[in-house]
Amino acid sequence: MLQSVLPIAVVASLAVALVSLTILIARTLAFGRKPSYSRAQGSPGRGLLYAFGQGMMPWEKESAARHLPTFIAGIVYHAAIFGAIILLVVHLAPLTLSSAILRILRLVILAGLLSGLGLLVKRLAVAGMRAISCPDDFVANLLVDLFLAAAFAVTLLESTRPYFYIAAIVLFLYVPTGKIRHCFFFFYTRILFGIFFGRRGVLPHHHPEA
Amino acid sequence: MSDAADRNDAYEQKIANLSDENIHKALEVFREKVDHRTAAHLNSCVHCGLCAESCHYYLSTRETESLPAYKLNLLMSVFRKHFTLIGRLLPALNGAQPLDREMTREWIDALYGRCTLCGRCSLNCSIGLDVSRLIRIGRTALAAIDLVPPELQSTVLAALEKGNNMGIPKEEWLDTVAWLQEELAQEVGDPNAELPLDRQNANILYTVNPREPKFFPLSLLATAKIFHAARESWTLSSDYYDVTNYALFSGDDEIGGTLSGRLLTTAKKLGATTLVLGECGHGFNSNRWEAPDWLSTSYGLEVTSIIQVIADYIRQGRVSLDPSRVAEPVTLHDPCNLVRLGGIVEDQRFILRKAVSNFVEMTPNREKNYCCGGGGGQLSMTRYADRRLKAGRIKADQIKKTGAKIVVAPCHNCIDQLGELNREYKLGVQVKTVSEIVADALVIPKC
Repeated sequence: MLQSVLPIAVVASLAVALVSLTILIARTLAFGRKPSYSRAQGSPGRGLLYAFGQGMMPWEKESAARHLPTFIAGIVYHAAIFGAIILLVVHLAPLTLSSAILRILRLVILAGLLSGLGLLVKRLAVAGMRAISCPDDFVANLLVDLFLAAAFAVTLLESTRPYFYIAAIVLFLYVPTGKIRHCFFFFYTRILFGIFFGRRGVLPHHHPEA
Repeated sequence: MSDAADRNDAYEQKIANLSDENIHKALEVFREKVDHRTAAHLNSCVHCGLCAESCHYYLSTRETESLPAYKLNLLMSVFRKHFTLIGRLLPALNGAQPLDREMTREWIDALYGRCTLCGRCSLNCSIGLDVSRLIRIGRTALAAIDLVPPELQSTVLAALEKGNNMGIPKEEWLDTVAWLQEELAQEVGDPNAELPLDRQNANILYTVNPREPKFFPLSLLATAKIFHAARESWTLSSDYYDVTNYALFSGDDEIGGTLSGRLLTTAKKLGATTLVLGECGHGFNSNRWEAPDWLSTSYGLEVTSIIQVIADYIRQGRVSLDPSRVAEPVTLHDPCNLVRLGGIVEDQRFILRKAVSNFVEMTPNREKNYCCGGGGGQLSMTRYADRRLKAGRIKADQIKKTGAKIVVAPCHNCIDQLGELNREYKLGVQVKTVSEIVADALVIPKC
């Protein structure tokens, strides 16, 4: 019984998350648009390309370069989440993965899980991080870590699949309530960033004298 | 009790006496200023904390309250509480908090007292949040309930009531221009050289920081010399010539629009084709980028910086420079409002490479440069002067490392702050505008 209900519950919770995120975006758009009357100096399009390309590189951002371990942990963490979602789709479909791909996924998910725990420890240990954190920061991290741990377990032991599904359901239902919503909002704000600095001719760098 | 203490007490009293109507009004204005862009930003901070060292306040003191994410969090928590469903339903989970007297006090300290609106954290944000714009919206809400720190507000009101932020009477301005005209004629050896006032249909209406006529008239003389050498058709206005707009810092869009609108109206009345903004970072950002939005109008005339004009003169061969006249090492400070938020990045470098023989870049530079600490209205908010000077240590260290003897800054606010840093940190440098350094290297054509 549980075996047949859980996959449906996973899909349903994902649908709830996607619909809620769409509503959140719609509510954000409902705040209205204020037109820009000043004449553009640069190219918003080029700014956009910068925002999603060169502008993501650690050498472009001092904040990333100064905190390289955190930056790398963040990248690995997010890669692992994508990996775990792929694994979830494989189990729900159901599809079959080659053992080589499964090994790679297992490694990525384990690395991501360790990165996530590392980021959690940093948030707990550094005073400045504690000061900017709210309960959601810890809950979100723990739920994602739980999801990754369950994904990792399922790559080793097929019988843990129900726990993987339960972890996914809890995570998906939590997504709209807190910071994990940045899975949508990241793209929104990054687009705004690119357009703003591109329009003003600040980014991408233009060094005609160089 | 000193005047300053009296003022502080009155300000504190105002906070203590905040009514529910005041809070409601602040929230109403806050909501009104949030559009989909700012709402997206307010929804997106992940509290990664990577922005920490991008802020000169945090770097210089390591105070948690100066973390950009901490400052932003104060705004986000209020936004969540009052304008999001989840913030209303689960405030503890999301750190949602109401705007009350205590939060207002925190807003004032963080938004006015720990930020120069320099935008460096925005550039370094993992997500790309426009932190300085969000902080300014918080200031706008505070301005709506008359909680702009009084020293900053008096600068804004001086500009509004007297036509310029230094309160220079018209006669004094006209006398200064007349005196500078005599000086110019003498220096360039041309009795017809002039600083024209209210000339109709000139190409350029030139606007200046009132600190020039008041304290640094030689800056204005230097620009006049360049215009003269380039045989430019230009004019000053006898009434509205103040390029500054401290409403950018106080957060008051209405007054900001009024101040910038005066320059636009003057340029149109005089028939000028280009409004040229003098060396003032925030004046550039206000008039070039923000004011059209404050006024909800496209300007319909060119708005440009004097830096761009001088660079064009050099490119077009309208002025010639002798870099051997400036032999000492020169470095360049990038004013945040002109460079990171204004997009004028390379022209000043092009000019300096032509005007001096030893130009040394700071590290980092251009849009990544550190704020000097004088922006955001900090120079007028004397209550935060200690913090401002401490935060300026980052810039002082940058300057020291270049080994330069002259620091060029195309912004009078920056120049004032750099002057103070020069004394505080014993830098032993001269601080000049771009026009001054160009005037030093200028080869004046013989009449």
